[in-house]
Amino acid sequence: MARRFLIGCALLFMALFLAIPLLTVFTQALATGAAAYLAAISEPTALSAIKLTLMVAAISVPLNLVFGVAAAWAIAKFNFRGKSTLITLIDLPFAISPVIAGLTFILLFGATGWFGGFLRAHHIRVVFAVPGIVLATTFVTFPFIARELIPVMQSQGNNDEETALSLGATGWQIFWRVTLPNIRWALLYGVLLCNARAMGEFGAVSVVSGHVRGLTNTMPLHVEILYNDYDYTAAFAVASLLALLALLTLAGKSFLEWRQPELRRTGHARDATTMKRPPRV
Amino acid sequence: MSIQLRGVCKQFGEFAAVENIDLDVPTGTLMALLGPSGCGKTALLRLIAGLEIPDRGEVLFDGQDATLWSVGKRKVGFVFQNYALFRHMTVYENVAFGLKVKRRRERPAAAAIRKKVQDLLDLVQLGWTHDRFPGQLSGGQRQRIALARAMAVDPQVLLLDEPFGALDNQVRHELRRWLRRLHDELHFTSIIVTHDQQEAIEVADTVAVLNRGRIEQTGKPGEIYDLPSSAFVHRFLGQVNQLPVQVRDGRAYLGPLDIGAAAATLEGSGEHFALIRPHEIEIGLPSSNWPGTLLAVRVMGPIVRVDICADGQPLHEPLEAEISRERFDSQGFSVGQRVGVRFRRWQVYPA
Repeated sequence: MARRFLIGCALLFMALFLAIPLLTVFTQALATGAAAYLAAISEPTALSAIKLTLMVAAISVPLNLVFGVAAAWAIAKFNFRGKSTLITLIDLPFAISPVIAGLTFILLFGATGWFGGFLRAHHIRVVFAVPGIVLATTFVTFPFIARELIPVMQSQGNNDEETALSLGATGWQIFWRVTLPNIRWALLYGVLLCNARAMGEFGAVSVVSGHVRGLTNTMPLHVEILYNDYDYTAAFAVASLLALLALLTLAGKSFLEWRQPELRRTGHARDATTMKRPPRV
Repeated sequence: MSIQLRGVCKQFGEFAAVENIDLDVPTGTLMALLGPSGCGKTALLRLIAGLEIPDRGEVLFDGQDATLWSVGKRKVGFVFQNYALFRHMTVYENVAFGLKVKRRRERPAAAAIRKKVQDLLDLVQLGWTHDRFPGQLSGGQRQRIALARAMAVDPQVLLLDEPFGALDNQVRHELRRWLRRLHDELHFTSIIVTHDQQEAIEVADTVAVLNRGRIEQTGKPGEIYDLPSSAFVHRFLGQVNQLPVQVRDGRAYLGPLDIGAAAATLEGSGEHFALIRPHEIEIGLPSSNWPGTLLAVRVMGPIVRVDICADGQPLHEPLEAEISRERFDSQGFSVGQRVGVRFRRWQVYPA
């Protein structure tokens, strides 16, 4: 009885907050027919928004991949002074409102900002241009991978690496052959979360982008502009693309897990249980 | 390869894990480092492996100063309690790992690697596990694979950190005997860390007992058991009964009772305590010896443990004695009966 009640609650909640909104996005997008849908997403400003979003994600996700692995490695495997400060700093983007983060970049790189004079002198545009969007996105998404890896790496300890060391492996070999395979599921999960957020980030990007249509508009910003123009079909069409990207990444993850035979056979699955979603602020 | 430690010290923050340790491990011996948790035995093993660098002192391999050698250069095989098998690799890949990561110049040909891995798997009697993943094996099997993997790179020294600690009793016992046979066949120098005195005594040629980062005593298992040099070693190597004694003129007195000339460890006079192992207590008629009452009997296969409250002793601190089943049956002891106890051996330590 209790079990049915709990499952029922969970399903109801899911339907209310996940399934119905998702369904609405797609039905609204296709409300005026497939032709209108295709027109909305193949329109030049929409295409440029899609391109920009993909490019920003393609830059900021690899950056945070390298940073996240390095930070998690340092925190999980070594003891050093300032370790707790580093952990706190990694959480900073979660704690700060994305809008504030965006404003910080304006203060730093804007025309009257700290580096404003230097940047103008060298004809480099950061704010209201693509570099600013990349910076803001990278900042907002940088905890995802590190946060995902730290608990996994801490729980796995150092014994595997020490064994490899005693077997004569070099640091590089240990990383590629032992550490990386041990954390790959957490890493993949972190990358997917990071990617989803990088594509969907609104607040920080909205502040630094300047909303130049066809130039500095990402998909979420484009959706907002369309919506404010009462162009609901187009707004939902682009929104449905974003939703589709999210669904695809999740499907990709499930597929990879299903394809890995030893995941099912060897209790690798417990990696999945040690994964915890980072707190979203 | 022989190993010597000279005045080795290691601190972890405020905690002195290893304090000024000297140790000699001659070539071909199997030494056990025995002690309670936190005594520094694992830290000592890691210092020998090169996983930690000592703050002071020297580590010598065959007389050469190896203190600052890297782990790889030391050519030690290290086996962890949790096996540390690479979970994403098959058993074959695990064992082959040390060979495959060698530089191309030193790496054996693929066929040679295959043969060597198969030989090693046969040696640990797990040839059939080849394509399995570690998660599909039992704990005992995993630990044997871990051993085979360590041996693949032809180490001069095998270091085992509580290798059987996570296994159940039956498997532990089997693996210990198996390890001993393997050691005798292959003539490694091996060091095994354990907190289990039974294991140390059963498997090792030499036992070093550690306490609070220092070595209390080193010797053959039998020697240490029979002639412990301190109360700590005496207690750690088996069950003991403790009794307060008075020492006067080189003789020990238990209350008014003279328990005879004390052992050589006796110095000075006044308050001391005696340690007596359960099997060193004899039970007879009440008239002849120290009288007492038999409180409880536990039959444990071939031996029988009995609790005896000797007269004048507190009831909640009974003496524990061990006698053979035959003797117990022939005497027909029963609970509540009056008996007399006599100590066959004991050792006196200053309080």
